[in-house]
Amino acid sequence: MSSDVAFLAEFADGSPSRSALELAAGAAALAKQGGGAAIALAYGKGAAGAAQLGSAGAARAVVLGDNTNPAITHATAAAAAVREAAPLALLAPATPNGRDLAAALVGLLGLPAFGPVRAVRLDGGTLRTEQATLQGTVITVSEPAEGAPQPAVVLVLPSTFSPLEGGTREAVVTNAPATEAGPLGAARIVESHPAEAAVANLEEASVIIAGGRGVGSAEGFAPLHDLAAVLGGAVGASRAAADAGWVPYQLQIGQTGKVVKPALYVGCGISGAIQHRVGMQTAENVLAINKDPDAPIGEFADLFVVGDLFTIVPKLTAEIRRRKGI
Amino acid sequence: MKIVVCLKQVPATTAEKRYTADLRLDRAAAEAVINPLDEYAIEQALRLQEAGAVATVSYLSMGPEQSAEALRRALAMGGDDATLVSDPALAGSDAWATARVLAAALDRLAPDVTLMGMASDDARGSLVPGAVAAIRGLPLLSYGAELRIEGSVGRIRRLTADGFDIVEAPLPVVASVTDQVGEPRYASLKGIMAAKRKPMETWSLADLGLSAADLHGAALTRVIEARKPEGKPPTERVENVSPDDAVARIVEWLAARKLIA
Ligand SMILES: Cc1cc2nc3c(=O)[nH]c(=O)nc-3n(C[C@H](O)[C@H](O)[C@H](O)COP(=O)(O)OP(=O)(O)OC[C@H]3O[C@@H](n4cnc5c(N)ncnc54)[C@H](O)[C@@H]3O)c2cc1C
Ligand SMILES: Nc1ncnc2c1ncn2[C@@H]1O[C@H](COP(=O)(O)O)[C@@H](O)[C@H]1O
Repeated sequence: MSSDVAFLAEFADGSPSRSALELAAGAAALAKQGGGAAIALAYGKGAAGAAQLGSAGAARAVVLGDNTNPAITHATAAAAAVREAAPLALLAPATPNGRDLAAALVGLLGLPAFGPVRAVRLDGGTLRTEQATLQGTVITVSEPAEGAPQPAVVLVLPSTFSPLEGGTREAVVTNAPATEAGPLGAARIVESHPAEAAVANLEEASVIIAGGRGVGSAEGFAPLHDLAAVLGGAVGASRAAADAGWVPYQLQIGQTGKVVKPALYVGCGISGAIQHRVGMQTAENVLAINKDPDAPIGEFADLFVVGDLFTIVPKLTAEIRRRKGI
Repeated sequence: MKIVVCLKQVPATTAEKRYTADLRLDRAAAEAVINPLDEYAIEQALRLQEAGAVATVSYLSMGPEQSAEALRRALAMGGDDATLVSDPALAGSDAWATARVLAAALDRLAPDVTLMGMASDDARGSLVPGAVAAIRGLPLLSYGAELRIEGSVGRIRRLTADGFDIVEAPLPVVASVTDQVGEPRYASLKGIMAAKRKPMETWSLADLGLSAADLHGAALTRVIEARKPEGKPPTERVENVSPDDAVARIVEWLAARKLIA
């Protein structure tokens, strides 16, 4: 069995996604411990250009398909590539597409599955993963059962690894072995409806200013956008704000939204329900502004300011502007 | 047209969770509910039935015997019948074993649409739908904000990075839906009474022609440690001060953490 570590590399609009760059770095670091290599399994629009993943850490790349079809339609090709490469582990991004393709591999090949995890390591050759379970109330460490087949499939949360910088290598690219896609390959996108305005990718934001029901309306988000602008961040939301139609669902943070890990999260008019908390609790710094002194977010924020967001947020923006001299 | 909704019984979000000596979740100790995200799948199935797109709504769950309560609660919301797969050999089953067993049960139930929640509250892998689709050799329509059945195809509306797509596949399919399909209904008193008379069967592993050996015990993974998350430093509270003082403190705090210059 090899010490190679494979990863699912998702491409969109011609480029590797952030998750592909993060997982390339993670796979390279794990593989190195046993003298193995990182192998990308690339899919999505632009996947044919997977050689560029070399600078991100991949030694080799197998192209599963260069198209916009749902990731799971590449399942039989991915299974053939995994059989051929026989890696120790397969890292998959904990995104909808990443989970679907990983799940199909678990089903087709009968593999152990872990995650979504926030840490993966090799202890004396044994793969160990660390996972927050039960809404983050318990941390569990897991490993493959004795005699479990390889690879171990690991779902990895965003920002678990940092992309490598300054690499210049190219990955050696091959096409996946030819296979029949079968019924798993039958799902097709028949209509696409992109939004009129650009939507931020919260998983890439290092500062997130999140608004909840307390923001009150779509217009109420204006001061949050202003604060995000002076801090170089993006605006996020609770499900209550997305359900109300004040912001698109892509900005929802939480159990059924994005899981984010910014350097700074600012919650404005958000109570801190458990389903929201699981999406932001690994933020490095949490500031909450809420007019209710008993709001649950006050129990886990680092700094909890009791006050009206419509007073505090504009004043804070003005003060930061003043300090920056802008 | 027949839908089978797969639902899991999980510890309530608010319940105190405990682990047994062998590091499995102590399911007997926690208050149990239908996995909240599976209630949205139930709601979607019942709406399709009410719209006449589906004749039969059945439920399928794998879990300890007490999971029958979750199935009974689902039947109180609506639908026709339920199947529980329960076997002592399934305790502690992982995503693969769960998918394998559900797939074997679904081979018998042979629905046109297998409908699942987008994730279970406890495992949170969102792996079972795709693994079941792979094992049964069916297309997957995942993370639907809405599911429709049009003639011989299933269609979902699925969120993308900046908008949404319509994704389609020929029936039979496995589908999963999100919490955007519409708020789950409550069971009425009448529904609760009616549920008592709806058929429910229990199958063992042997009934499905499977044995513990086929499932590698029940799991290809094992938990070696369970602990509480690292405690965070206590929250600093800023209250009963003027907005200007509050802002001054925020700015100091941001600067101390190098979040602003
Ligand atoms: C299955 C399931 C999945 C879910 N998934 C998610 C998810 O992914 N993400 C998510 O966010 N939620 C999710 N939820 C919903 C979650 O349970 C809460 O209902 C939601 O997070 C509440 O949003 P909120 O904090 O904005 O609103 P509320 O709980 O209503 O809180 C609003 C807060 O604003 C404060 N406020 C009001 N006015 C002001 C003001 N002027 N200034 C300052 N503060 C003010 C109030 O004091 C209050 O604390 C889910 C629920 C379920 C059942
Ligand atoms: N034990 C189970 N019995 C029935 N359905 C299940 C079970 N486990 C998972 N599912 C289904 O699979 C979905 C995703 O679960 P998971 O992969 O655990 O996140 C759930 O929302 C359920 O619909």
